[in-house]
Amino acid sequence: MVDLLSGIQSTSAALNAERTRMDVISENIANAQSTRGTDGKPYQRKVVVFETALQQALDGTGQVATLKSARIQKESRPALMVYQPGHPHADARGFVAMPNISIHEEMADFIAASRTFEANLAIVRNAKAMALQTLAIGKK
Amino acid sequence: MIDALFNSPNYLAAKKSLDAVALRSEAIAANIANLETPGYKRVDLSPSFRAELERACASGDPNQLASLRPALAADPSAVPTGRDGNTVNLEKEMMELNSNMLAHSLETQLVSGALLKLKLAITGKS
Repeated sequence: MVDLLSGIQSTSAALNAERTRMDVISENIANAQSTRGTDGKPYQRKVVVFETALQQALDGTGQVATLKSARIQKESRPALMVYQPGHPHADARGFVAMPNISIHEEMADFIAASRTFEANLAIVRNAKAMALQTLAIGKK
Repeated sequence: MIDALFNSPNYLAAKKSLDAVALRSEAIAANIANLETPGYKRVDLSPSFRAELERACASGDPNQLASLRPALAADPSAVPTGRDGNTVNLEKEMMELNSNMLAHSLETQLVSGALLKLKLAITGKS
C-alpha cells in the first residue's frame, strides 16, 4: 500500500517511545523518596531502552528502520544508604536504603525526550504539508 | 496515442524526482525517529540514483527514465556524533527536511504545470 503520509509509521512509533520515556522519567521523579515498594525493597530507577526494527519497503526499494519499541528496564544502580535512625525503614545501624535517583539527571533526560518528541512532530507537520501538495497536483 | 503525451522526458524526470523526494522524506522520518537509538546508521537516497537520473535525462530516452528506481541506503559519509555510534545529527536532518519539502513543492508544481498545459491544449481554456 502506498501511504500518503510517507514515513509516518516510524514517526508514530518514535512518538510513542518518547511518550513512554517521559512516563518513566516522571515515575522515577515521583518515587525519588520511596523507601518501600510492593516487593519490600526501595524503588529501583527505571530506564527506557530503544531498539530499531527494519521495515522492508514493499516495492523493494530499500529498508527503512522504524523505532520498534521502548523496553522498560530496571537499572542495577545500588541504593543510597542515608543515616536516619528514626526512620521506620532504617536497618539495625540506623541506615535507610533510598532510591539512587538524581533529580537533575532525570530533568535533563526529560528535556531531551521532549525535544525529540518535538522533532518528530515537525516530521508529522511536514508529511501533512507534502500530502496536501500531492493532492493538489493538476489543480491551479 | 495518449501515451505519447505522458512520455515527454521532462514530465518523466519530474515524476521520478517526485518519487525520490517522497522516498527521501521517509528516510528523514526514520532518521529522526531513531535519533536516540544506539548504533543506528542514518539512511538516505542512494548516491547512485542522482547519477543515473542525470544520465537518463541527458540521453532523453523515455524507457531509460521510466526504468529508474530510487532506493535508500545507509549513508557512508555520516560519522557518529556521540559515543553510542549513532550517526544522526538533528540539525542536519531538520535542514534536509526543509530542503526536501521545497524540492517536493518544486516537483509537484512541475508535474502540475505539465498536466495543466496538456489540459489547455485539449480544451483551449486555461
